[in-house]
Amino acid sequence: MPKVYITGLGFITSIGNDRASVTNSLRTLQHGFEHYAPFQGPEVPVKIAAPVRGFQLDSTDPEDWTFPAGYTIKREVLRGMSPNAVYSWCAMQQAIADARLTDAEVSNRHTGLYAASGGSPFLMGHMLHRMHTQGIMKCSPLGIVASIAGTLNFNLVAHFRIKGASGGFSSACASSSHALGFAYDELALGRQKRMFVVGAEDGNLDAILPFASMRALSLQTDPNLASRPFDTGRDGFVGTGGAVVLVLETEDEVARRGVPVYCEVAGWGQASDGHNVAISHPDGQGLAAAIQLALEATATPVEAVDYVNAHATSTPIGDTSEARALKSIFRPPTTRPAISSTKAITGHGLSLAGAMESGFCALAIRDGFMPGSAHITNLDPECDGLNIIRSTLSAQPRVVLNNVSGFGGANVSLVFKQA
Amino acid sequence: MVPNPDQPTGPEAKPFIGLAKTFTPEDEAALRESLKRCSPSTFEAAVQYRRTGNPEHVPAVVIGVIERFVEPDLRVKLKEADDDLRLIDDLGVDSLTMMEIVVLVEDVLTMTINNDELRNLRTVGDVKLFIDCKIRGLPLPKPTKFLPVEQIVGVMPIQPPFLFLNEASVSSSGANAKYKITGQEFFLQGHFKDNPVMPASIMLEALGQLGVLFLLEGIATEQGKVVSPSTIFFTGCEGVRAHRICRPGDILSISIKPKRTKMPLATFEGSIRVGQEKAAIVEEFTLTFGLEDAATVTPLVRLPVVPAPTSITGLGQVANGTGPNA
Repeated sequence: MPKVYITGLGFITSIGNDRASVTNSLRTLQHGFEHYAPFQGPEVPVKIAAPVRGFQLDSTDPEDWTFPAGYTIKREVLRGMSPNAVYSWCAMQQAIADARLTDAEVSNRHTGLYAASGGSPFLMGHMLHRMHTQGIMKCSPLGIVASIAGTLNFNLVAHFRIKGASGGFSSACASSSHALGFAYDELALGRQKRMFVVGAEDGNLDAILPFASMRALSLQTDPNLASRPFDTGRDGFVGTGGAVVLVLETEDEVARRGVPVYCEVAGWGQASDGHNVAISHPDGQGLAAAIQLALEATATPVEAVDYVNAHATSTPIGDTSEARALKSIFRPPTTRPAISSTKAITGHGLSLAGAMESGFCALAIRDGFMPGSAHITNLDPECDGLNIIRSTLSAQPRVVLNNVSGFGGANVSLVFKQA
Repeated sequence: MVPNPDQPTGPEAKPFIGLAKTFTPEDEAALRESLKRCSPSTFEAAVQYRRTGNPEHVPAVVIGVIERFVEPDLRVKLKEADDDLRLIDDLGVDSLTMMEIVVLVEDVLTMTINNDELRNLRTVGDVKLFIDCKIRGLPLPKPTKFLPVEQIVGVMPIQPPFLFLNEASVSSSGANAKYKITGQEFFLQGHFKDNPVMPASIMLEALGQLGVLFLLEGIATEQGKVVSPSTIFFTGCEGVRAHRICRPGDILSISIKPKRTKMPLATFEGSIRVGQEKAAIVEEFTLTFGLEDAATVTPLVRLPVVPAPTSITGLGQVANGTGPNA
């Protein structure tokens, strides 16, 4: 099977809208949280979010939207887009430039695109409200394309003229890791030469607040305390949005084009809890199985793992579950890998999480650092025996694991290796 | 005596069918929001229409709405006020944009347009005429028909190498066509020696041919009858003037409009442009024609035909008109 490499990245995130500022935030553990204006009404119990800066996408009319300098999107492209499609459109531009791809290399039948977002609850809500109040034929003709969960792949495949494999993944917070895993398979099986992997979310009021009633969101009012995975005081996650794009290519394609790579995507594993619709297995059984399968698939000895980017979202149950899964894999006397959750600074990107954190892993391997797990004051005793790093290490990890867990007990573990 | 169309004569006066209900300040605010991306004159026209129901304000609203959905660099075309502008080819309007146009027109003119009515709207003129008929409660017009060269060859009694229409559009109000002078036309070998110039007589011929196509495709005839292709002949012309020398590479934009049609004579006015330059005008030309039973018609050629390379064959049936420059 051909090896698979990451050759390009694009970031529109709460901690930066380009590779350099994201790397800087990861190294210095600068968070992206704020008192989010739409949450400041007395009826909203949640106050903190990690919005993307530089975009103004809060109108239901895309022609009102504004973007950072350097991005222009034509009306006919914009009219079928959700906010998360706009973020991903910009991240695609970055990733294509970063990977030095020509138009022909983007648009051919050997280049595909897998994507994941939760759709746009914001535009869906607007459309349904308009349908019920104004009439069925009064909705925007492209309202459905802009709002359902496939909006990312619909928009990107059409506008970037993707001719190869395409599709979307819907496993909630595991979605974009599934996209990445199956994109790896497309390349490893020789069915494609290049795959774009995209994770994105609106990260606005309608995308985040529905998690409040299940008590999944932090009610903290201090941006410095709201997201603190593995801390005893954690009380829920902080919502975020944006988009991350990864360009995956086979070794032949990398050699032919003579481009630098970030790291190798060595392989992946997935397993399910079969336990609860929304709550992780208390001992992290499914996640442990996913990690085990990922290590086996990539012939990686447990002791070879240098760094784990944990899923840990800062919820009481989820972090404990992952800590137990990690302890069941990384047992003494093997070397304990450094472990951190970058959600302590980014917030939880839901369908974006897997792609975003895989992008972070690629930066860590290439640039030689391991981002710390910020905001821990009192480490949860559940983590005893795990090497949870509280500050960024300036050492180059050679083998990195990225975990995600989604609703329904879907777990994915991806393995990245120094090229 | 005609009253001022915008001033109903009394409180109960309701001069226009489009005036369905009173126009409240809330309606005006909603209208302003709906038209916020249109020109101020579009909004003004919509307000006037909603206040008075006068259909004369409708074209400005329709053009304003179309303009709002057309990419900025193509909007200048709408300023030419050319009803023959094609929505798809000239303005880049796809079927989804058409739907956006319709949703907004429905909203601001408080009317309903069905999907199947949309399919036939190909030009700006089609849209204006269609909405005007809807608002006045008139029967909907026959749509503009587009004919590529294969279809033109299929219906015309005139055939290559003496056919000077490459593509045409025919509506009930007239016809337009394009012809590119290739330089391979047989008569250019001698007209003139080492100096190929399109004969003005042939330009008149092209106008006549478009008249023939209009008679065959554009006019309404009595039930069960159609115009017989073999009965159409040229009878005369007046006020023919050539303004521009046309050479190989020029694309002739040929237009005719019927002035009078009464069996067995049809009189047209016609003009030819190259780009924005006037090339020739004909104040009047007349064709004679006859009818036959619809059932007896056998198609001339219905298969796609590639225009034959030029060779010297017979003359066309229509024109023997002699242009001043020929």
